[in-house]
Amino acid sequence: MNRHVVDVVALHERASATPEALARPRSAPREPSRAAPTPSAEELTLRGTQLWFQRAVTTPESEESAIGEREAATRLTAGPRLTALERLEIYRRGYHARLVECLADDYPVLQAALGASAFEALCRAYVARHPSESPSLNAYGRLMADFLRDGAPDETPSRAFAADLAALEWSIVEVIHAASSEPLTLEGLGRIPAEAWAGARLVANTALRLQRFEYPVNAFFQQVRDGASPALPSLSPSATVVYRSGPTVWRMDLTEPMFQVLQGLLAGEALAAALGRAEAGLAGVDPVEIGQRVTHWFREWVASGLFVRVEI
Amino acid sequence: MSNRFGLPELGVGIGLRTVHYSHIVDTQPDVDWFEILSDNYMHTAGRPLHYLDAIAARYPVAMHGVGLSIGSTDPLDRAYLRELRALRDRTGARWVSDHLCWTGVAGKNTHDLLPLPYTEEALLHVADRVRAVQDFLGAPLALENPSTYVEHAGGAARTMPEWEFLARLSEAADCALLLDVNNVFVSAYNHGFDPRTYLDAVPFDRVVQLHVAGHTHHGTHILDSHIGPVIDDVWRLLALAHARAGGVSVLLEWDAEIPDLPATHAEALRAREFIGKVAA
Repeated sequence: MNRHVVDVVALHERASATPEALARPRSAPREPSRAAPTPSAEELTLRGTQLWFQRAVTTPESEESAIGEREAATRLTAGPRLTALERLEIYRRGYHARLVECLADDYPVLQAALGASAFEALCRAYVARHPSESPSLNAYGRLMADFLRDGAPDETPSRAFAADLAALEWSIVEVIHAASSEPLTLEGLGRIPAEAWAGARLVANTALRLQRFEYPVNAFFQQVRDGASPALPSLSPSATVVYRSGPTVWRMDLTEPMFQVLQGLLAGEALAAALGRAEAGLAGVDPVEIGQRVTHWFREWVASGLFVRVEI
Repeated sequence: MSNRFGLPELGVGIGLRTVHYSHIVDTQPDVDWFEILSDNYMHTAGRPLHYLDAIAARYPVAMHGVGLSIGSTDPLDRAYLRELRALRDRTGARWVSDHLCWTGVAGKNTHDLLPLPYTEEALLHVADRVRAVQDFLGAPLALENPSTYVEHAGGAARTMPEWEFLARLSEAADCALLLDVNNVFVSAYNHGFDPRTYLDAVPFDRVVQLHVAGHTHHGTHILDSHIGPVIDDVWRLLALAHARAGGVSVLLEWDAEIPDLPATHAEALRAREFIGKVAA
């Protein structure tokens, strides 16, 4: 069982800074032909001002500005060197750049897989579809895998693979932020009376996600982390458990029988029932060998910190 | 200490950033204090708190937020306030700060520090909310002047300069101030005023902390990018503000292209080359 550490350092760290990496070069804003509407008294209240400003800032950069130069000048002052609309556009660019940067922090391997341009287009489509409704960005990217399956731009390459990869990367974010407890140790395991084993249930580390994929995404993830530029893989089922032990996030690939057993354990099945799942997945293998294999898996999972306690 | 709130002068600190976690925990560098970005430790129960607990146990910390949205016309987010207070209690933070801005409205969040119109209506609105937050925290809230790239015309309403708004707000709400001298410099360039005019209006007995940072000059405007190092003109503003405050905690923010901790700390300590060299 190979396991790999995830060397995530910075994860959508918030700052009061304005993003400098404004990815999209901008031409001068176009002046719509329509005349600037005169704001009503209600539209000029603090509430009305904020609603207007937010609409202007959040309009996708692929679209013409929601307002024109004349309308901007009715509400904002020109600066020494920039018009009112040019000044407002700084906020529009900053809004999109900040959220794209956040998604790039969450999905660095997806970015490598798709390429910078396709990834940025994907993120901008995501931002347009899913404006943030939380003061925290920690969970902002949680819908990316679903978005890739249903809603991403048609030109996004290999959407099914990308969705699997996004699911793996999001599970890393989740376990970083999930609470965790002191893990069960092999010594702790040894204190369970022999007669209690079959009916015992294991309580999993809450900073753990078990997933099955259509593509070998964890292997791809590791290749990218190792500095390679692998081709996008073909369909080939895989399963991975992602978990955190202390500050360190780990990924461990599982065979299908391992997945079945671990899934049973995580679902709260008694040990005997969960371990019995291995027999179904290892048809034709000698029962003694099955027992040895399962015991080996089980000890490795406990030693890795996948469980926090046993309930007898 | 010289501020009216009795908050301590912590020395010269740096903003806590994740790239420095391991270095700090492993080597315990001789840094006076750390400012934590409150929002990086909220909506999480995991690894960020693992490091924060270790660092807050060793160093004085203050909390600096970007998500309070004190100027929004949406209702105050009580869940956010509860989490903010719990984090303050967990870390023993010496004070809590956020920005004079709004971040979203109608349930949306732009995650940007958006500029308020500096009108009488906004003044009353923000003062009410600052008082509510301070009542909730049981402590003064320090509000920071933002970098801005645009100013509201205000329609028929009279608008006032930011420095007047900030001074009147701090008086009306009896709140503390976090004066970011880089933001003063940035906004002064972007809007065409003299940064000393701004400083002349600041009620320094309310200033509990100074911020300094690098920025990016684009010719037509300056972005508050927090990419260091800090230019000497900003250091000189810091020294002036420090003298007028009669001594106050200083903090360097560095948020992009962040060097290792010794280099970041060395940049922060440049403050000592300037402090005491100018007359108030």
